Amino acid sequence: MEAVNKKWIHIVVNSQKHEIEVRPNELLVDVLRERLRLTGTKVGCEAGDCGACTVLIKGKPTLSCLTLAIECQGKEILTIEGLGDISTGLHPLQRAFVEHYALQCGFCTPAMIVTAKALLDRNSNPSEDEVREAINGVICRCTGYMQIVEAILAAAKEMRETVHEA
Amino acid sequence: MKHEDFKVIGKSIPPSESFNKVTGQFKYVGDMQAELYGKILRSPHPHARIKRIDTTKVEKFSGVESVLTHKDVPPRKLPRRDQRGCYILEDHLRFVGDEVAAVAAKTRAIAEEALDLFEVEYEILPAVFDPEEAAKPEAPQLYAGGNVYGPQFDLMVERGLNKPVILEWGNIEKGFKEADVVIEDKVEVKPQVHSPLEPHVCIASWRGDELILWTATQSPYEVRMSIAHALGMPEGKVRVIYGAIGGGFGSKYVGRYQAIAALLSKKAGGKSTKIVLTREEDLCHASRAGAKIRLKIGAKRNGVITAIHLRAFFNLGGYGNVIGGCARFVEESPSLTYKYRNARFEGWDVHTNYFTSQPYRTIALPALAFAVEQVIDQIAEELDMDPVEFRLKNLPESNDMMPVKPHKNPIYPRGRLDAYPAKQIMKEVREKIGWERFKGHQQPVAVEGPKRRGIGVAASQGWGGFCVGGFINETVILNNDGSVHILSGHTDLGTGSNTTLRQIAAEALGITIEDVTIATGDTILGHFDITGARGSRSLTTAGHLILIAIEEAKRKICKMAAPFLKANPKDIEVSGKKAYVRGNEENAVPLTKLLTSTVKCAVGGDPRDWILTKGAMWPLVSPGKKTRNPIVLATEVEVDVETGEVKPVKIVTGNSPGRMINPMIVRGMYIGAAVMTLGMALWEEFNYDPMNSVYEHASLADYKVPRALDVPTVENVIVEEVVERPLDVGPPYGARGAGEFSSAGVVAAIANAIYNATGARVRQSPMTAEKVLEAIKLGRPKKK
Repeated sequence: MEAVNKKWIHIVVNSQKHEIEVRPNELLVDVLRERLRLTGTKVGCEAGDCGACTVLIKGKPTLSCLTLAIECQGKEILTIEGLGDISTGLHPLQRAFVEHYALQCGFCTPAMIVTAKALLDRNSNPSEDEVREAINGVICRCTGYMQIVEAILAAAKEMRETVHEA
Repeated sequence: MKHEDFKVIGKSIPPSESFNKVTGQFKYVGDMQAELYGKILRSPHPHARIKRIDTTKVEKFSGVESVLTHKDVPPRKLPRRDQRGCYILEDHLRFVGDEVAAVAAKTRAIAEEALDLFEVEYEILPAVFDPEEAAKPEAPQLYAGGNVYGPQFDLMVERGLNKPVILEWGNIEKGFKEADVVIEDKVEVKPQVHSPLEPHVCIASWRGDELILWTATQSPYEVRMSIAHALGMPEGKVRVIYGAIGGGFGSKYVGRYQAIAALLSKKAGGKSTKIVLTREEDLCHASRAGAKIRLKIGAKRNGVITAIHLRAFFNLGGYGNVIGGCARFVEESPSLTYKYRNARFEGWDVHTNYFTSQPYRTIALPALAFAVEQVIDQIAEELDMDPVEFRLKNLPESNDMMPVKPHKNPIYPRGRLDAYPAKQIMKEVREKIGWERFKGHQQPVAVEGPKRRGIGVAASQGWGGFCVGGFINETVILNNDGSVHILSGHTDLGTGSNTTLRQIAAEALGITIEDVTIATGDTILGHFDITGARGSRSLTTAGHLILIAIEEAKRKICKMAAPFLKANPKDIEVSGKKAYVRGNEENAVPLTKLLTSTVKCAVGGDPRDWILTKGAMWPLVSPGKKTRNPIVLATEVEVDVETGEVKPVKIVTGNSPGRMINPMIVRGMYIGAAVMTLGMALWEEFNYDPMNSVYEHASLADYKVPRALDVPTVENVIVEEVVERPLDVGPPYGARGAGEFSSAGVVAAIANAIYNATGARVRQSPMTAEKVLEAIKLGRPKKK
């Protein structure tokens, strides 16, 4: 019965093209985590309240637990795995999160970092309030947010300086 | 020794696992796939008995592979530390959400659908939700022996004695007679839910007669011990793998769901079976014990406290997991905030038809401070004294004798306070919050239209994190290249304990942190730790044992090096991967020349510790000395007197970590704990609606944990004070636990700041806008 309504979609995840057959009710978060095994994106509440499942769709922070995979046809998706890794080099945000101890248990970290990336992509010099506003949708239960805000501001500064030097 | 004398400790080194966490490569239990998916059927009633349960339809449902009811579980309890044990499933249900039955199926969707196919007939029983009501003999009984559980002093021993836990000394009647001012009050603390971002999760599978359980837990050896006991298996046949935990805070101990997954998997021929609690289930899994506290404090005109009488009822919920609410008052914890000359602390741990209570970044400290510190402010006001000055008059300091020998326990003597800079912390916090703006008890520091700003302060005290040694095992293996491999029983929750322990080992051996690896996260290592990551003790207790092992390894090497160096072993130093005669480092022998194999030293204290000390967790650090954490919190708030809304403007935490091993991590702990308790103070309301038998706040949309925009600047006063001791005596390098202790005074400091701003006392947490407005409408008390 399920197979009847299945549909093929093309999505680009972390610059890689994927052709996947999905059920109409299949969530993007399940496609990412279970089909593509990109488990950096987390599931915290399945209701859009905690923000742990945030990914960037066309550069915009999106709750992948509330997004149907079928709606993502043709879209470009960025998850934490697409940002940088230890062998290819960390993104300045990833480095700043490590250096400022902006994470403890780490469960919200992927969502925090991609959300911060979307902010810095549109605003290279945000104020502290703008940073807090941007990450307000992602709950962190460990850090109290201070060191996260510090890390994002430090990464923004570093990225501005790098652009300036270039 | 000074900071500059150290090469590795005192440095802000980021945890190495952070690199995996920022790239999404760190694998949590939920990131692993399993063959089957388990779901739990939960009670719709707060108190009921299962009269009949029919699973026929569930078993026939396509895709279902195993079904479990109370009829299928062994007649053995899951012992949970210091608390009433419970069966894996039972026909007696004690809260809405209690486990009724379970099913495992090929997919989650099938398992969810199958839950609707259980046919259950319940006998509904009368329920009780208030701990004070539940303590009365005429209340509905959750247990045959009565609802009051305690006092509990022994590990894993059940004693439903129906009595309070009492901690007392002096003569309170005499103390109150001597007082010029006596204030009585009553406060209530509502349960706060831990809600770590990672829901409770486990995957169980069987390899022959061995159970393999991946789970996010703070207390893996307790999981092993409890499940082995309940299933009648040798402990070594239960392997718990627990390397990654997405936040715990006191919620992730042993739970029924892990044992349920084990049995579901067993019935399905050992197939790996995953249970992940939904957010709703997770929010109703455990809470900080709610409490109703009555309190009376007396003081002389000169500001000296003469007596305290505290009577508290803690809400254990249906089961209670780990040392209840009063927790034997965590030994002498509440006795130490001030120098009370006469005291009686009386605590009742009471079962109700609410869900289970567990420790939560300390046990009762935020609740006790909420009560005590509001009354302290009232006394200061009555005496026309400045709240900070009043506290400074009564705070203890280093070398003060602790007032009480807990429970008259001969193994657990009184001691003097070791490095306890409470007064200095209070003075520095006073400066950082800008106390010079304080104009009087009911006089806001600033007014702008309906918005009034107030400042408030609170003191508290916590244990030092250094505790029973016998229950963590540590093995130090020195490789012949001079690097070190540590096998450890501790659990790193993300609090950086792997990193701080590596720093300590590196410092002691004169090597770099990169030279130290640490293996933990799997009970197959057999490095027992009964309490797990609890009580801010990982660094101090595991670190202490690691240093003992290192000192022993060094002694072994000195003996081996003696013939090479033609010297007495006593004159030989081992540092920087070489051995040399003290003062003659140029003529050193490298360990690579000395060793062809490894030097191994294993340490675990007296395995009878817990029996000998009757559960006293916080022993002497050296003869006659005890380590404790002085705590001060100050806050500034802005209250809108028209809406009752409270906006926190600033928080200042004040603590002493002894010596900081990793300043960045210490700061992170203080900020994190303070913000978590800020949620308890203002927003985190989790109500049960008895009319409809539902929890009103069982989602993260309704249960308002702090978000980035809610949280003000948090500044830290960190006062290091260290008593120099040999490396293998007392807490490692004089470090003290940090994880929990800024949590203790936030709720109280916010209450006092609200009073300063508005003249209204809010006597129930969380202090939501509604309650604050109500308190404001009740009017401010007349100033005498």
